[in-house]
Amino acid sequence: MSTNAVKMATRFGGGLFSSHGKPTNVQLLAQSFQAFKIQTRDIRPGSKPGTRPDSKPKQRFPDWFLKKERVQYNEGLTAENKAFVQEVVEDKFGPPAIIGGIATYKSPLKVEPLVRGEWTEKSRRTGVIARKIGVYPLWFKDGKKVLTSLLQVIDNHVIQYTPPGEFQQARKLEKALWKPNKLGCLLVGAESTDPQKFTKEYCGLFSKSGVMPKKILARFLVTPDAAIQPGTPLLASHFRVGDYVDVRGKTIDRGFQGVMTRWGFSGMPASHGVTKTHRRAGNIGSGGTKARVWKGQKMPGHMGNRWRVLRGLRIWRINTKYNVLYVSGQNIPGETNSMVYIYDTVLPLRKFKEPPPFPTYYTEYEENLPDDIYYSDVHQFSEPSIMFEENK
Amino acid sequence: MAFGACLRTISREYRLNVCITSRLFSSPVKSTASTLPSDAQEQFNEELERKSVTPVDYRFTYPEFLPDPAFARRNTIREKLERMDMLKRRSQIDIPEFYVGSILAVTTSDPHSGGKPHRFLGICISRSGCGLRASFILRNVIDHQGVEVAYEMYNPTIQKIEVLRLEKRLDDELFYLRDALPEYSTFPQDMDPEIKIDGAAVPVNDIKVKLKPRPWLERWERKNLKGVQDLGLPERFYKRAEELATPWEKYDLMKQYRATIPEEEQAEIFSEVYSELHNMEIARKKLKKRKTFIKPKKSG
Repeated sequence: MSTNAVKMATRFGGGLFSSHGKPTNVQLLAQSFQAFKIQTRDIRPGSKPGTRPDSKPKQRFPDWFLKKERVQYNEGLTAENKAFVQEVVEDKFGPPAIIGGIATYKSPLKVEPLVRGEWTEKSRRTGVIARKIGVYPLWFKDGKKVLTSLLQVIDNHVIQYTPPGEFQQARKLEKALWKPNKLGCLLVGAESTDPQKFTKEYCGLFSKSGVMPKKILARFLVTPDAAIQPGTPLLASHFRVGDYVDVRGKTIDRGFQGVMTRWGFSGMPASHGVTKTHRRAGNIGSGGTKARVWKGQKMPGHMGNRWRVLRGLRIWRINTKYNVLYVSGQNIPGETNSMVYIYDTVLPLRKFKEPPPFPTYYTEYEENLPDDIYYSDVHQFSEPSIMFEENK
Repeated sequence: MAFGACLRTISREYRLNVCITSRLFSSPVKSTASTLPSDAQEQFNEELERKSVTPVDYRFTYPEFLPDPAFARRNTIREKLERMDMLKRRSQIDIPEFYVGSILAVTTSDPHSGGKPHRFLGICISRSGCGLRASFILRNVIDHQGVEVAYEMYNPTIQKIEVLRLEKRLDDELFYLRDALPEYSTFPQDMDPEIKIDGAAVPVNDIKVKLKPRPWLERWERKNLKGVQDLGLPERFYKRAEELATPWEKYDLMKQYRATIPEEEQAEIFSEVYSELHNMEIARKKLKKRKTFIKPKKSG
């Protein structure tokens, strides 16, 4: 281990990454507070106290689940006062800058990475937060067209790492079934924003890593070897062209919809004596012995605004200047300009065969990448027109 | 008479546009960038200085550079990346100025024709889409059979786009040629290009097409067509068309605003691509001049 690495280990040994050794004062204090803690339990409205406890797991929110927005009072600040506050913000976090087409702040934080783990087939890397910015076609060298969604990785930074021992899933199973989790948790934030917009406790989340407070947070479960130093930026080059990703997003909210829109029923005829039942479902169950409506019957109701994952999408092109991934498919959940989370795919046949940038791509430590990276099969727009050879 | 009036309105509109844009460019653009730090401010100023005056007709010559006006689908970075890709493609192939009603010939490479390029000549009956998805439809009648081919403008299998006759028609779409007599959409495949004088206005062909008798693909009497001869329908058809007409829509300013890209944004977009497009145009002109003289073919 190099001296630098030792320094890093000692620097972070006391606080963030200690799961073994002597407990710190803060941990002792926390333990004594635990004794006073009132055990809360989420009780279903139907179940009476004293009866058999219901099987619903406890609701536990992670420690970053804090009140974020605050009321923007008119504080009657003069122009000089405002300028002074802005100066303080800039002193702490660096001047505002436009990086990759996004208005953000130059983070003063430049730390060396942790001792980097070795990639194995069981390693699980972090994902990134991206914005869906639109759809446009690319062409392959054989002349075929593919519609790609453009996902822009927006100003991502690692905020916090919780090792497996300390991290508890928000909803865990009954004690007998529960196994200790082997995955740690990386908290990642996107889009740096002026800290004056948020509450004090929300800004406190970022104080340890020294990152500017972020608009959006996401947690990614990672194996301990894929832990990343808090404060590290995550870029589009976290992925490579040809890799497959899963994209999770919230579908477009369509409101209350009938069966034709929601489930694609055909409806009823427009004429031939049909009255008042043109877009209705018709029969929803038979009589006889069943004499009821079966569960899962497709009916009108709320459509959209649900988290959905589209799996196994291939990355055809990466723009490292604007941090844009060109991912196959025009059906990524959500509207244009909505947020999505991008993960390495879980599909067994499309997983990594060679080690990816692990745990992520570090700008300072790896060779510089070109602005535009294309997959080998994709036709580049700056190349001459496609000509096919005579086949015999 | 109707056609004359229409032309007059067109020219008036054109004049209006000219004066609006000239006013736009003459006034100094007030920036809201005072909050930016000094180096960013300088960069902004430099960009302002670099902005050259773009000709007004760029939105007609290069309409696909304007993004989809649907507000829900807009994103400035995506649009910028798309424009950069379009310019890259345009550096490889000459995509000339053309309009609905112009006669084009497109040469493409086809994987099924064994290395031989495929050339199709026809009249452009519609232009649609924006950005890299821009496309147009060519129509011709071959062996008494109407043929239409839809081309994507930025498809890299296209080898060459030639404009043989550069002109406009009275309508924005010529889908009614499908119901017209075949001679109106018949063009010889070995047509020679017409000589175009540099800088001359694009002529408007005021031909009035004769449609075949009904049944038609669409109810053309309701479409307010200008390039069509009298349809010869009974009175009730025109009455119904009048009932369904929406003449107030041309006064709906919000509708127009939502369906178009604002003038200021157009100026911004075209100032970004102007220098490259202009350089390409100059290079093309030089190439044309350098071309050797081709002996004209003997016809007839």
